[in-house]
Amino acid sequence: MSGTVLPSVYTPEQVATILQLSKSTIYELISRGELAAKKIGKVYRIPATSISFAITGLDNDLYMAEKEDLKILPKVQNELAKVRSEL
Amino acid sequence: MTKSSKLFLDSDIIISSFISKTGAASFIVNQKDLILSISNLSEKEIRIVMARLKIERKALDKVSDNFIKIGLKENTTTIKEKYSKYTSDPNDAHIVAGAVKSKSKFLISYNLKHYKSEAIKRDFDIILTTPAKFLQYLRSRN
Repeated sequence: MSGTVLPSVYTPEQVATILQLSKSTIYELISRGELAAKKIGKVYRIPATSISFAITGLDNDLYMAEKEDLKILPKVQNELAKVRSEL
Repeated sequence: MTKSSKLFLDSDIIISSFISKTGAASFIVNQKDLILSISNLSEKEIRIVMARLKIERKALDKVSDNFIKIGLKENTTTIKEKYSKYTSDPNDAHIVAGAVKSKSKFLISYNLKHYKSEAIKRDFDIILTTPAKFLQYLRSRN
């Protein structure tokens, strides 16, 4: 990782570019509820978690679930490697 | 979802599922719509690791019915001779053997760097992936 801080929210235009979709498709996805967004005054802002797939290759809930496992994994894999070497 | 996806689970997935209940591994292990396999050798090592990490035995007993148990009858030396070319650590060879014997389409592991995924796909048509990536794949089919 380069240490670059990613924005926590995006504009519909930015999301259209990231996902390689048209702006109208993004607005359509928002109105159908398929893309979570917040209307602030007259504009929309889309949280980074809504487009997690474009960044991580995973939906946000799956990304978080994987992160949860990765916290404990070194301990598990270390013990497993020891046991395998004894089998 | 139909019971069409046959998965062989590496032991790190099963053990992780007992420690982290909200992790992706736990979600896979508790999926009733998948055909999940482990081998007799996996079960043996899982039980030893569980004891060393002080995980209650009943954690495995509770989910035991979720798995098909594959009997690997060859000794570990023979298994290593046959399958260690698919791993960077010969001690992981029995996992590939189990995946092959169970006729699984996916091998689910967090230890991706220890397996030679291209060779496994080429020779056995088994896809090596992580729990979250497999779950993402399932979503993409719907």
